[in-house]
Amino acid sequence: MQDERQPRPDEERHEFREEAESLWRITLAPVAWVAHFVTSYGIVALVCAKAPGLLGMTRGGLGLATLLALAVIAWLGWRAWRQWDYRTTGDYTNARGEAEDRHQFLGHAAVLLALISAIGVVYGALPVLLLETCR
Amino acid sequence: MSDTDQTGPSGPYPPTEAMLAEPVSPEEQERTATELRAAWEAPRGWRYFTAVNNSEVGLWYALTAFGFMLLAGVLALVMRLQLAVPDNDLISADRFNQFFTMHGSAMMFLFAVPMFEAIAILILPAFLGSRDMPFPRLSAFGFWCFVIGGVFVMGSLLFNSAPTAGWFMYPPLATQDEGPGSDIWLLGLSFIEIASIAAAVELIVGALKCRPPGMRVNIMPLYAWYVLVVGGMILFAFPPLIAGDFLFELERSFDWPFFDPTRGGDPMLWQHLFWIFGHPEVYIVFLPSIAIAAMVVPTVARRPIVGYSWIVLSAVGTGFLSFGLWVHHMFTTGLPNISLGFFSAASEAVVIPTGIQLFAFAATLIVGRVKMSLPMLWIAGALAIFTAGGLTGVMLAIAPFNWQVHDTYFIVAHLHYTLFGGMVFPVIAGVYYFFPFIRKKMLSERLGRWAFWLIFTGFNVTFLPMHLTGLLGMPRRIFTYPDSAGWGWLNLVSTLGAFVIAAGFAVFVWDLLRPKGNQKQVPRNPWDAGTLEWSHDVPEEYWGARSIPHITSRYPLWDDPKLVERMDAGRYYLPDSPHGHRETMVTSVIDASPELVQRVTGPTWITLWAAAFTGGAFIFPTFHMYPPAIVSGAFAVVCILYWLWTSTARPPEHDMREAGLGLRLPTYASGPKAVGWWAVWITMLGDATAFASVVFGFFFYWTARPDFPPEGALHATPGLVALAAGALVASWALTLGARHWNGAGRAGVARAALIAAPLLAAGGCAALILSVQALEPTQHVYPAVICALTVWVVAHGAVGIIMQLYCLAGSLTGKLTRRYDADLWNITLFWHFLCLTVLVAAAVMGLAPRVL
Repeated sequence: MQDERQPRPDEERHEFREEAESLWRITLAPVAWVAHFVTSYGIVALVCAKAPGLLGMTRGGLGLATLLALAVIAWLGWRAWRQWDYRTTGDYTNARGEAEDRHQFLGHAAVLLALISAIGVVYGALPVLLLETCR
Repeated sequence: MSDTDQTGPSGPYPPTEAMLAEPVSPEEQERTATELRAAWEAPRGWRYFTAVNNSEVGLWYALTAFGFMLLAGVLALVMRLQLAVPDNDLISADRFNQFFTMHGSAMMFLFAVPMFEAIAILILPAFLGSRDMPFPRLSAFGFWCFVIGGVFVMGSLLFNSAPTAGWFMYPPLATQDEGPGSDIWLLGLSFIEIASIAAAVELIVGALKCRPPGMRVNIMPLYAWYVLVVGGMILFAFPPLIAGDFLFELERSFDWPFFDPTRGGDPMLWQHLFWIFGHPEVYIVFLPSIAIAAMVVPTVARRPIVGYSWIVLSAVGTGFLSFGLWVHHMFTTGLPNISLGFFSAASEAVVIPTGIQLFAFAATLIVGRVKMSLPMLWIAGALAIFTAGGLTGVMLAIAPFNWQVHDTYFIVAHLHYTLFGGMVFPVIAGVYYFFPFIRKKMLSERLGRWAFWLIFTGFNVTFLPMHLTGLLGMPRRIFTYPDSAGWGWLNLVSTLGAFVIAAGFAVFVWDLLRPKGNQKQVPRNPWDAGTLEWSHDVPEEYWGARSIPHITSRYPLWDDPKLVERMDAGRYYLPDSPHGHRETMVTSVIDASPELVQRVTGPTWITLWAAAFTGGAFIFPTFHMYPPAIVSGAFAVVCILYWLWTSTARPPEHDMREAGLGLRLPTYASGPKAVGWWAVWITMLGDATAFASVVFGFFFYWTARPDFPPEGALHATPGLVALAAGALVASWALTLGARHWNGAGRAGVARAALIAAPLLAAGGCAALILSVQALEPTQHVYPAVICALTVWVVAHGAVGIIMQLYCLAGSLTGKLTRRYDADLWNITLFWHFLCLTVLVAAAVMGLAPRVL
């Protein structure tokens, strides 16, 4: 496609261009939750079915996996927080039809999703923390 | 290429205020309106049923789903009569079993999910100022499939041969059930599940690619966000059930023992597959209904929604978390407690995003200037009932409590509170709210209040006592009970309440269907709402939007007082139809900048024929009549090919189109700019999920069963499996090559590749079939799973071959050229997924047995 022929308004700054965004990005934090959830459930199911003796070690491993998942979500959340840029703009709703608003809105949504994903990961880690046996 | 300078949009965008302020001459308005009216004219007389317009198909869809809901409600009333007094003998145990099975199945598969699709098809294009959905014939096909499947499944009640094993069809009860009941359930509903996926594809592409210019993702109506999330959920939730149905039907028809523990199978696999579908399904039903509340609440509060981003979080977050809850339907199956813990925790976590949207609604109402209306009354009732259901849900998520009340009427009370509050009430609110848009008439305020108070009171009288009935120990699904149990009076109260609900529905149905011919014309925007659907034409026009506006805010009708006037004047985009085609605008995913004028399909009989033959392909096997099923399936394929060949991705007569306001847009696109490519992508994501579910089955048996694979089992011949994988991968490479060569102008090489590719694919499929010749799938689940994978790959290989030959035919006849190569892009995408499927299947069949 011939990019220079695309209708492009002058006021749209380079950093807010559409190609730099993706709807997928707001789902990355929930995907980290999914990965943590599936890993925890899958590994525990496998260990309890095949080698219940290894559960102690598994719990340690899943603890590390939880920290990893939280670190990933924190990093995604931090990037999204910068993208939202609330401290500079003071704009909480991003309700206007400008590229900048869209950019910051996607940041805002991603911050919130990172938050809920982090809560989900912590919830998902509780059984590993509290239960010592398969039964 | 000589025409490269004609493939992108050109001209000014976005439009300036001066451009929009320029008036359109009355002659011009008259001329363009006539053109548009002619292009979108509705078929008359008998041909009315050939309509594919979203306004017709959506309406039929909604009325049919509502009809099934009333039938399922009648079943509930008969059951309540049977349970009204102890030791009753109004209906037999077997009929009672049929009734509760069909009540649940119909409410879920024939009412709740189709109703979402119906409403979305009906109103989503209007929210988006779009003319129609991107694939109108696909909607129509889905609808006719739904009608045929629904009538077939419900009709079995008349022959006393309906399924009896409960709406979740647990094996071994359902697999060993005599008579065709279980087969009717499996095949009839699989058919409808496929229609649901078709609707999901349509709605996702609609929300992503058919928004009006300027409607960036941060200002699209919340309803569109919910549709996007729910469409995505359908793609990941329905395929596991379809995979489960596939295995289940192989067991029922051919005795492959997937769920038979005596031959290595495991009924738990069905429970997993069913509930991986079944729990998200609850949210698939709930989210789009609550989305209606997200549209009604700002109108009532007369201000923009508070916390738009929070509601997006809520929809997306709930969509994800709802996939981590399925085992809470299986707490009593003896899984390790630590496993239950994960699902208990996730079930508690999902309350957070679910609650957030309710708080956002409450906040909007608190800060707004509320103007109470009938739709809001229903929304208020919904929130009250849903919150009560949510609280018992929190209780049930705690495993020890769940063990106590498992399979009692407490569960019945809980699920009806969530579904009535989360689905039935908001949908009725939506009917009252959108009725002036849909039928250009108003429903009665007085009858609406009567219906509300009857249903609301009746509902609580019926289901509130059931919590206690359940705690006192009454199990679900018993057809009668002794007097000594002491539940008699509670059941009698519930029965009385059920008839009050029925009275409320009678009032509602009368209001809905009574003739309203003498009613005066409704105002265009009776609720003073701010979203685009209220720019509709009164009296009705079939063109959707008179001209497609440029949108710059979330509530354009509030923020831009001149918008409707300019739309009516045809000031905006596509006000005309110079060639008499039905067209809508395709825009980019994130920022909705104009990309394409998409020609959409018009009225036709072919979708009915395709649906009828598809129906035959699913219904004949119910009675083990395989030859007619195969013939019917072949005719269905022919119908669909004819439909695609004659009306999709045809080379346009004119490459570019004046779209209005000086903008020139292309009329053809291939690859990621084309809506068809997105549809294939989304469909294949669902297909890959179903395949992943079958593969999950393989590893599930390995974890759950000590004898998988059994000692000394025969395996698929490794050499032949490798040969099959090689041939199919080579076929994929040639397909990709054909696209490349065709694009480079070397049509001869591309055609040669398209001749070699299907031959290789056929050879690959044959090798795969040969590799499992020695296996006896009825002996043990291991050979059965291997053969099921073979069936899966070969069936997809056959579809892939048809696609390659379709493109070859296109290339030879001039439908597919160097410039107009959308078909080739789409089939390459299919083959990417098929290639992955082949590699995974080959690894499971050839390598896994050695590794395990």
